[in-house]
Amino acid sequence: MAVKIRLRRMGQKKAPFYRIIVADSRSPRDGKFIDEIGTYDPNCDPSAIKVDEEAAKKWLKNGAQPTEVVSKIFKIAGIEK
Amino acid sequence: MRENMKGVKKKDLTPPFVWCMIAQVMEVDEILEQTLLFDFYGELLTEHQKEIYGRFITEDLSLGEIAEEAGISRQGVHDLVRRCSQTLKGYEEKLHLIERFLAVKEKVESIDRLLDDYNEENAGELLRSIRRISGEIIEEL
Repeated sequence: MAVKIRLRRMGQKKAPFYRIIVADSRSPRDGKFIDEIGTYDPNCDPSAIKVDEEAAKKWLKNGAQPTEVVSKIFKIAGIEK
Repeated sequence: MRENMKGVKKKDLTPPFVWCMIAQVMEVDEILEQTLLFDFYGELLTEHQKEIYGRFITEDLSLGEIAEEAGISRQGVHDLVRRCSQTLKGYEEKLHLIERFLAVKEKVESIDRLLDDYNEENAGELLRSIRRISGEIIEEL
């Protein structure tokens, strides 16, 4: 059962912001997620990234797979596996 | 680029590396651009395109995951996503709604910032600035 770390879009129309969530890759549709480990708010200038570093590292260590965008966000936030 | 960044120490952060990092930030912000395109022009896509592209944008699903759920090939999803991106960008090139929206938003925010600094002494100056900005907003619309 693959676990993924992905963005989920929140916020109203034309003002998106994103949560960084940990979810099972099998159930993206029902909106369930296992953990919320951060936010990414592109409305600020520069974009505001908040990540719970400890949780992120824990999930990465346990084999959760970040999507491409999330890897980039982690990279910017200075989180390595 | 990611390999280039490995083992970089702070003292090595000469301009090229800084550019690398800025480029990375911009790459992430690409998702913002796609989201705005979808918010503004998404209704012009077909139902099917809207469904697939919407999931790609709002749920950060991979092409493979969407393909599996929608029962079409990964290549099919890939083509659809690329075509939708091009279509939406085409609308923006012709209509510039997002460009205008962002310009107006920035100006309204600058009015907000001015008001944060309000005190009795600078009231006159603030009013003049706000009037100037509101004129710019009208021009933008």
